[in-house]
Amino acid sequence: MSAAKFDELIHPSTRLTLVATLAAADWAEFAFLKDRLALSDSALSKQLATLEEAGYVATERYLVGGRRKLRARLTKAGRQAYDGHVAALRLVIDSAGESVAAESVEG
Amino acid sequence: MEPIAQHEAREALEAIEHARRGVAAEVGLPRWYWWLLAAGWVVLGVVGDLSAAWFATVATVAYGAVHATVASRVLSGRRRTGGVQVSAETASRRLPVVVIGMLVALVALTIGTALVLDADGTEHASIFAGIFVAAVVGFGGPEILGVLRRWARA
Repeated sequence: MSAAKFDELIHPSTRLTLVATLAAADWAEFAFLKDRLALSDSALSKQLATLEEAGYVATERYLVGGRRKLRARLTKAGRQAYDGHVAALRLVIDSAGESVAAESVEG
Repeated sequence: MEPIAQHEAREALEAIEHARRGVAAEVGLPRWYWWLLAAGWVVLGVVGDLSAAWFATVATVAYGAVHATVASRVLSGRRRTGGVQVSAETASRRLPVVVIGMLVALVALTIGTALVLDADGTEHASIFAGIFVAAVVGFGGPEILGVLRRWARA
């Protein structure tokens, strides 16, 4: 299990959904991601490029029947960062719950 | 200091779960699998009705072998379309069991339909039973599997 670590790069909502989608898959095609996230080609390319620069995502370009396609997957570093981020989010909720419980006992 | 508020963390986790469910919804079998299954069902119905018993037996075994080969590649349900390969952790391990259970039920439906048609005096009862179940599989296979997946939580 990854240590809780809030990741500023992953947290913005579009990028979080993109990374969470890739985390649930071995790989996903550009068209699938574009459809799931309801993004334009350029917006999705920009998000993928940001994640790729950080080493969180790897992309692979290939040809199918003369058409160029792009496939993206989460790297090991990306998965660790994502798992750590999810753990950090859970920690925020858990610690808030504990604070409320402690206040109830004290009160 | 916590980087975000509790409600923001909760919203983020909900977005993550929504994204995971979106990928999990892609679990299933490719459309061509259902039509191949339907075609085999009709062929077996015709062979069973019109050919010798030994040939029908050989055809059934051959069909079973071909199906087992094809199914071993797609039964995990992780590549219903070419757009995404669902991870093993996201796809339920119970899906193959659900598909096999569905096939057994369809065989029972074929036999039951053939017996009813035969009792009613219909000629070539097994052919009509095969066509009926093939139509059910071809047109409704993915939808039936979807309902069974929800029931089995697979």
